[in-house]
Amino acid sequence: MRHHPLQYCGCVAIGDTEGDKTNLEGVAVMPVAVETPKKEWTGQVREVVLGATEAEGGTRSKTVTVGGESTLPFLDFEAPMPNPPRIAVEIQDRKPSDWSSVLLTVWGQVLDDPAAWAKAVEELDVDLLVLKINLTDADGNETTAEQARASVRKVLDATGLPLIVFGPGQTELDIDLLVAVAEEAAGERVVLGVCDDKNYKTIVAAALAHGHLVNGRTAMDVNLAKQLNILISDMGLPLDRVIMDPTTAALGYGVEYGYSAMERLRLAALQGDGMTQQPMLVTPGEEAWRMKEAKVGEDVPQAWGDWEERAITWETLTATTLIHSGADIVVLRHPESVRRVEDLISRLWNKGD
Amino acid sequence: MYKIGEEIQVISTKVRKAIEERSKAPIQQLAVAQVEAGADALEVNIGPQKKKGPEVMEWMVDTLQEVVDVPLCLDTTNLAAMEAGLKRVKQQAIVNSTSADPDRLRDVPPLAAKYDAKLIALTMGKNIAVEADKRVTIALEHLVPRIMEVGIPMDQVLMDPLILTVSGMQEYCPEAIETIRFLKQISDPPPLTLVGLSNVSNGVPRGNRSLVYSTYAVMLLGAGLDAAIVDPRDERLKEWVRIVEERDDSTPVGQLLLNLYDATAVMEDLDPGIVDMDDPDQAAIFKTVQVLQDKIIYADGYLQI
Repeated sequence: MRHHPLQYCGCVAIGDTEGDKTNLEGVAVMPVAVETPKKEWTGQVREVVLGATEAEGGTRSKTVTVGGESTLPFLDFEAPMPNPPRIAVEIQDRKPSDWSSVLLTVWGQVLDDPAAWAKAVEELDVDLLVLKINLTDADGNETTAEQARASVRKVLDATGLPLIVFGPGQTELDIDLLVAVAEEAAGERVVLGVCDDKNYKTIVAAALAHGHLVNGRTAMDVNLAKQLNILISDMGLPLDRVIMDPTTAALGYGVEYGYSAMERLRLAALQGDGMTQQPMLVTPGEEAWRMKEAKVGEDVPQAWGDWEERAITWETLTATTLIHSGADIVVLRHPESVRRVEDLISRLWNKGD
Repeated sequence: MYKIGEEIQVISTKVRKAIEERSKAPIQQLAVAQVEAGADALEVNIGPQKKKGPEVMEWMVDTLQEVVDVPLCLDTTNLAAMEAGLKRVKQQAIVNSTSADPDRLRDVPPLAAKYDAKLIALTMGKNIAVEADKRVTIALEHLVPRIMEVGIPMDQVLMDPLILTVSGMQEYCPEAIETIRFLKQISDPPPLTLVGLSNVSNGVPRGNRSLVYSTYAVMLLGAGLDAAIVDPRDERLKEWVRIVEERDDSTPVGQLLLNLYDATAVMEDLDPGIVDMDDPDQAAIFKTVQVLQDKIIYADGYLQI
């Protein structure tokens, strides 16, 4: 029988210089000493601390540190990865009107009350909570600053998790709502988002005034991502209070573009490009659940299989792909996706030394 | 560096309007100003001109030759217009351009050969290849054989690796430098090399464009660039090309540019140790080199940091 040549230099011998080894067919092979190639980077991702405990002027039960890595994800044999990628779970200020029924079913009653929803998230044993403020309230009226303030208060009172707050994503309204949120949550080191190239001046000023952080979002473009960091930094906000959100897309809908942009930003950071060294936040949950593969169970081919399993897989794979390209925070929606992504992180993450 | 003035091109509204109205004055002013500023030749881009190509080209060539006496670089995809221009020119023309696209490669080189014109050959097919080795492969497998077949001497060929923008396609800025280097080695005698220099700074804030393309020019010259389509009126570009060509090391910036040129020539990085970062001009050059080498990600505010 002919052997494939690769069998003789097979994996059994890599990195192992002791003892006789045989290949899969029992043929003796010479042990080969293979030195693991290591890349030495000169740069490091900045560490950013989210949340403030009582000692730091807030009311969170803990703080969460992200970033700090000086190598690519999980390559702890090269350099330490002091903090694991963190999972944040998204809740909204009211029952979402456009979420998949899979999500509505799994969360159930808590959807109508952000405080109860926040508590349910805390029970999942995750690190971070995202509160998304909707464009309109349950009655269809534009959300007011007072409503946003009240929602944030409820959530802060209900949970000790560090908080990230997203506005509806409309420049003018985001400014109104996030400024109110910043005031209400003064001292809590909340992450304010979306901070983009149109509204950054106001959002950064609010963060400066009330001791918060910002999440700077750009549309899958490394040049714009760096430029926004420069602009934010020029406003006087220290870079250890800036997270960057390079935007992403779902599996099958351009996740590879997001992956490439993040990879390039991270490589630049590790090469010492100081204005790209921010921890990265992405929202794979929102992206994946927008797509029909996750969102709907009707009028799709039978071969697609079980709806809920497919949806969770879509969200999980989108998230884990992005973690491999350097995401420091992934925002998820389904508790089972949270469990699976947490499982992956716990298997791969090793602090290193 | 052989400078082809870029300003007479149909993308400019001023030029387009002058062509439509057959108004000589604006065209002649642009021509004279560029030649007075040191242009060795003039780009004449009339666009495809589907309806009246030959007539427009004849009018344009005549209009220009009334006021300037430099070679014209005829730029149109309209073959009849190209031939009309070639018949009319008083000095050896430059045909802009062929590529490895089969139709272009079939039609354009014979025309250049027939009228003893120089030929610009883009190292791309129907699509743009970005990696240096792919561009050189296109030159070797498609452009050179066809050019030899029609009998144009290689020293009459201007190979153009196609310059992409630093603001959007930064990864390929160093690739173009390497392409120039390789193209100078593909034949004996080697082809001439040419770039459309301003392309690199498209999308860059106006105030920084000259810095970006002038720095890039020094690097490209180090790799073997012979000619470029440029804004001949840009003082910084003129001065920096002069410094490199005359090896004028009488100023700190001159020394830095010569270091950059020499380092690029031997495929080395500019030694950061020789840069005085307290001198804003030197700091700006160094940061721009870092960006053009794709070592630091481009951002509009890259000079601020």
